[in-house]
Amino acid sequence: MNVEFYLKLLLVVAFGSAFLIYLIGKISSALRDLLAVVTSLVVLVVVSYLYGKSGKVIYCENFLGVPLILRLNMLSWFFSISIAFVGLLSIIFSLSYIRERENTDFYYLMMLLVNAGMLGIVLSGDLVSFYIFWEIMSWSAFLLISYNKGPALAAGIKYIIMSIIGSVCMLVVILSLYANYGTLIIAELVPFIRSSSHGYVLFLLILLFVTFGVKNAVWPFHSWLPPAHSEAPSPFSAVLSGILVRMGMYGFVLVFFTLVGLKLFLSLESNSFHYILAWIGAINIVIPTFIAMLQNDSKRLLAWHGVGQGGYIFLGVVLGSSLSVAGGIFHLINYTSYIALLFLVVGAVEYRTKGIRDLNSLGGLIKKMPITFIGALVGTCGLIGIPLTSGFVSKWLIYKALILEGYPFLAFAALIGTWGTILSLYKFLHNMFLGQLPERFENVKEAPFDMQLPILIYSLIIILFGILPGIPLKIINAIDTSFGFESLNVNIWGIGSETGVLNAVNIFTASIVAIIVVWLIFKSGQKVVLVAQDSNYAAGAYIPKDKYHYTVEFYKPLYRMITPYLRDFVDEFYMKLAGWTQKLCYGVRRVYTGDVGYYVIYIILFLAILILIKVGLKPW
Amino acid sequence: MVIKIIQMVIYPIIAFIIGIFFMGLFRKIIARIHRRYGPPLLQPLIDIIRFFSQKGISHGSLFTLGMILSLAGSLVVLLFIPFGKICPLQNSGGLLVVLYLLLFAPIGIALSGGEAANPNISIGISRKLILALGYEVPFILIILSVMVHYRTISFAEIVKLQQSDTWAIFKWPLVLPGIAYLLILPAMMGMRPFDVAMAPQEIASGPIIEYGGKYLALYHIEHAFSVFITTAIFVDLFLGGGVNIGFFFVKMCVVFILVSFVNGIFPRYRIEQAVKYLWRWPALISFVGLILVKISGR
Repeated sequence: MNVEFYLKLLLVVAFGSAFLIYLIGKISSALRDLLAVVTSLVVLVVVSYLYGKSGKVIYCENFLGVPLILRLNMLSWFFSISIAFVGLLSIIFSLSYIRERENTDFYYLMMLLVNAGMLGIVLSGDLVSFYIFWEIMSWSAFLLISYNKGPALAAGIKYIIMSIIGSVCMLVVILSLYANYGTLIIAELVPFIRSSSHGYVLFLLILLFVTFGVKNAVWPFHSWLPPAHSEAPSPFSAVLSGILVRMGMYGFVLVFFTLVGLKLFLSLESNSFHYILAWIGAINIVIPTFIAMLQNDSKRLLAWHGVGQGGYIFLGVVLGSSLSVAGGIFHLINYTSYIALLFLVVGAVEYRTKGIRDLNSLGGLIKKMPITFIGALVGTCGLIGIPLTSGFVSKWLIYKALILEGYPFLAFAALIGTWGTILSLYKFLHNMFLGQLPERFENVKEAPFDMQLPILIYSLIIILFGILPGIPLKIINAIDTSFGFESLNVNIWGIGSETGVLNAVNIFTASIVAIIVVWLIFKSGQKVVLVAQDSNYAAGAYIPKDKYHYTVEFYKPLYRMITPYLRDFVDEFYMKLAGWTQKLCYGVRRVYTGDVGYYVIYIILFLAILILIKVGLKPW
Repeated sequence: MVIKIIQMVIYPIIAFIIGIFFMGLFRKIIARIHRRYGPPLLQPLIDIIRFFSQKGISHGSLFTLGMILSLAGSLVVLLFIPFGKICPLQNSGGLLVVLYLLLFAPIGIALSGGEAANPNISIGISRKLILALGYEVPFILIILSVMVHYRTISFAEIVKLQQSDTWAIFKWPLVLPGIAYLLILPAMMGMRPFDVAMAPQEIASGPIIEYGGKYLALYHIEHAFSVFITTAIFVDLFLGGGVNIGFFFVKMCVVFILVSFVNGIFPRYRIEQAVKYLWRWPALISFVGLILVKISGR
């Protein structure tokens, strides 16, 4: 069996299973669940089998005059495995989460279709297939975002309108490329684009910046993301935030380094184009992470971090140095693992507390849901980038690149973003799992096993890649060198170079020894008594059963200081624009009432004016 | 290798002794400013021993784990900080790792305190995090200007470059970040006028109110380390480290006594005032400093 066969098989399984499962769901829901997991697993196995291989296959000779191609290389394999992995875990998580809802068959259909569409995108070797799969992904994502109806529908519409604008931009690029060069195969386009004028390349890049920027939620195209992420069903939020949004990043990487090429990309606009993009990335880090602090909806808080962490990835990639691109791509996969994990955690809490996402009314759940809490803790540590989680290594790479390339102000933006993350995520953790347990959650149980499993797997990955970052970095280094960067000095324990070494295993060993030592010291002391949460605070006095703990408006002094500066001007502008458009449409509707009588009057009036002109002015 | 391991064992012990000494010295200085006699110099050590022999209360496993994590975090940070010629983990990540490892201690205490539902704790933690956001803005700018000036992210390298030249605080563009660092030092140590997180008179020592027995002992040990760490980082970054442990200790004493004087004479800020101050003067000075460093580096 060769690579070509497997590539075709992958798409057939991915798309075929989606529709098959929809039909089977009409017969038996248990069989449907089983099959959804099995087919996702098959996709994952096939993709992991394809590791290190490359190849291409023409799967449609003549589609409107152009051949459609699938191709595999290190970059697309890297994204494929992430897609297959996140897809599988989200399907497993969905089993319990979605069981009692209506339209479950439809949910699974769309979920698998989104995954299949994303696989298609990263595997497609020409721009037409890229566009087709892109649209499949965008539309099925729309249907999933609006799955919950109500506010979800509004969020979905906001998303799809921006997404369509992006798609139109991509269509213009595709048409323009085809008109100029007569081919849409990526490999054949490369020499043409690299020899064309700077102005034309800039034109293409700016249009594609809109396309991929909307999907990747790059400022100023981010405003669809927070409502869409918070309203979507949680397992899909994990897919949406973890990997679907990052398809935009795949597009950026593909265009910047494969299509345009490193040298041309860095020299655009006398070397300043990528610098401007880097500043957009920096804005993307700082403002969203600070807005996240103000949120009270747990999923919306995470969604804003989705925008913020996207800034780190974007910043790393556009900086265009060997270290920073490696850091950016590594951060992408880390981000995928911990944001997916956190959305699943919120999903589990939502499932057990009957749909409560409000951070002000939760609390104390650590006693009831310890496994979920561990997931939340690892996820938040990863998102902050605490050493020994994978997030730290990728951020370290980006910071180091920024400092050594001489961009201290960009580094400042990136570092201060981390503090925004710490504040908002401590609030997330504290208000959900720590502090006082409200009386109505007395009987909450731990999440079922099929929800715990994905949470634990993600946690393990985050820690594993944090201690042995060499495993993913080897692959990323291969991608890096295929773009024409110099190879990094990657070891299994981290990165070595002349200007600074990172050794995660040393840090890990030191921490373990330190923890053991401290634990021994701790053990040597007197025994402790386990007491109820309020016993020390009340000191024996009566405490009313209501909430007495301080969680609402957790950073109030800070809110008062920074809220005036943290308005989302871009979103306000878009909403105004939407308002004006709506008013215009209402105006038009007043004229086109749908009543035939009015139309007759319009025709008569028009004729009368014509006659008046004819008689009065005699122009003819 | 053997020398390294010996260093790793001895370094935390020396750091602990120095930290405890500073804690005692601090109480003595404050007492003399208040025209009291003050407790004996060894009082903090006596307290710690006493706490170990007393019973305490616990609220669950995270309550313990957070405390252990916090102290272990401080121990790990120590190994990254050059102390005279000693720096056991100098080739494992440099200054950026220190910046992140410093998070372990406060986050450990925050997690530990979180498990107890005591409003004083959560108010204290909320204040501590806001204050940290306040001083991290200038602190990051300061660290960046040092790293950009010396073109390295290795801590040991920065110290070495200063010893072959002059101290960073006497070097022209780095003067400004140095001054800014002096201004934020009390905030980083949680001393007046920035002791909003503990604020014994308002929120009854905030985050540590539920600790008793060995938890409190561990907290005091952690505090000793954090006093050592904060002072040592300043000495390493701006006062050229130390040729040997003796010189290093003398420099640390000077810095610490200076901060204690500030603590002795200023009343407490409110949290907004503290953040406003930190974001205004130290941030401005260090920002200008970073610009100058960037310009002069070209």
